[in-house]
Amino acid sequence: MPVPRGFISRGTRETLANYAYLLPAAICLGGTVLFPILKAIHMSLYQNVLSRPQDYHFIGLGNYLRMIHDPTFWLTLKNSFIWVVCSVSIQFVLGFLGALLLNAGFKGRTFLRTLNLLPWIIPGVVVGLVWEYLYQPNYGPINDILRRVGLLRVPIAWLSEPNSAMASVIFTNIWRGIPFFTIMILAGLQAIPDKLYEAATVDGASVTQRFRHVTLPMLRPIIIVATATRIIWTFNYADLIFVMTGGGPANATQITSSYTLLSAYTDLDFGYAATLSVILLVIMLVFTAFYLKVTKGVESVSE
Amino acid sequence: MSKHRSGDFLERILGGPALWTGLAIMTLFAMGPFLWAFSASLKTRAELYATPITYIPALPTFQNYVEAWTSRLTPFSRFFANSLWVSSVTMVATIVISTSAGYALARFRFVGKNTLMLVFLATQMFPAVLLIPPLLSQWYALGLIDTYQALIYSNFSFTVPFTVWMLVGYFESIPRELEESAMMDGSSRFGAMLRIIVPLAAPGIAATAIFAFVSSWSELLFATTFTSSTEMRTLSAGLLYMAGQYEVQWGQLSAGVMISTVPVAILFTFLQKHLIKGLTAGAMKG
Repeated sequence: MPVPRGFISRGTRETLANYAYLLPAAICLGGTVLFPILKAIHMSLYQNVLSRPQDYHFIGLGNYLRMIHDPTFWLTLKNSFIWVVCSVSIQFVLGFLGALLLNAGFKGRTFLRTLNLLPWIIPGVVVGLVWEYLYQPNYGPINDILRRVGLLRVPIAWLSEPNSAMASVIFTNIWRGIPFFTIMILAGLQAIPDKLYEAATVDGASVTQRFRHVTLPMLRPIIIVATATRIIWTFNYADLIFVMTGGGPANATQITSSYTLLSAYTDLDFGYAATLSVILLVIMLVFTAFYLKVTKGVESVSE
Repeated sequence: MSKHRSGDFLERILGGPALWTGLAIMTLFAMGPFLWAFSASLKTRAELYATPITYIPALPTFQNYVEAWTSRLTPFSRFFANSLWVSSVTMVATIVISTSAGYALARFRFVGKNTLMLVFLATQMFPAVLLIPPLLSQWYALGLIDTYQALIYSNFSFTVPFTVWMLVGYFESIPRELEESAMMDGSSRFGAMLRIIVPLAAPGIAATAIFAFVSSWSELLFATTFTSSTEMRTLSAGLLYMAGQYEVQWGQLSAGVMISTVPVAILFTFLQKHLIKGLTAGAMKG
């Protein structure tokens, strides 16, 4: 570092050199996360519809007041809740089962594991489009299979019926998210020492007893982390909804984050979109604070 | 005694038939949609719209792939090149940035280091939609709309925090004495990091590299928002654009789906061990 000697002490020079390692990451996150967030908060205080630039002016909390009186916002909040709770709980149960199956010792386990993890790794738009095709009323295989086995007479337009649209996108989201829980819980299972099971077996514990008294308590920390991560992710990501239904029909599948996208892309109302996204951020921060409090509790229990 | 035997019975069922049935159902469920898309991508146009629908193409053809790859309206060859470029540059730049930051956070004492780590973790919890309006106006002001830079910089918003966070754990698990002895022998700190620590952390760096590549490859919202011309679309944005056409070409679309899926599937297959280790190590640490 070309810093004149004697001008800055050695210790300070070292500290500065140490900070230099962080500089690229700091610039990146400053420019792509921190500054944009501040900018979003700033944008939320303005009337800012791109198609009416002459109307651009400061309106204070006007967008927030509009949000409180917007029935669609409250509907999307309710839909977000349904979307998160149904998706994550079923992903968890099925992912747990998957992990138990893949944890058993058998030949070709690595191969089967790879196949089962694929839904999680592929692009969201691919998931959305493939499932749109699967649900398609005339050429899609889901209707065809249900008709062949006699469960259905008339094909259903799964994604355009208000009654079935939400359940259908949730089903797709479950398919996509199961592998995440499988990976996490499988890693947790493999970290449990065999000695614990052996000791329990010697003490005469049955399969179910071993599961309840050895497996579950040992997995508790990873289950909490994985579930919280997944809840946050599911709440934030609207790519499946964006691709498959665009929030329709009649907002039946509109969650708050897809509503934010809609306000920006369709209504070109950037002030309102920024307002909604700031509220999403606040909800997530509250959730994260709660989550950190709970995980701290887990750590002190496991120590 | 009888209770013990019933436990054994349950164990045998769980270890044998139940295990295999469960594995078969689970794998079929996971793979079914891919198999359908693959089958559809090989069908002729007539077969795609025939009733009753078929599950195995009668006359398999690569026509859909050729059409998607060379189409003028939705040129997948171009989308593929764009995705490859954006994801590769994002990956390399992310690794350089995160290795440096991860190393510093693992080795040096900073004021507010724990807060900083928490910020890195919390960044992952930010909704991507939050960044879209401000980033759009930012890239517009900088004249970066319809450029690779806009996509690559935007991707840093999700690749950098997570990879830094993952790498800190890796570097912390490598004993300090290793680079300290190299520094005794006259190596600079930076040199010691490059020659000793980076090779030792290679599995962790590989895991973060795949993460950066795969998540950039899948990225959709930035790619659709910050590009407007067909030549600049990535695979994800191109697929969405294709699906939004007036008449959906399921054959070409399925071919496009396979083109977008196969590279990440291959990467994942070869490197899943590292990736899973990296991901779960972070989670287990809490």
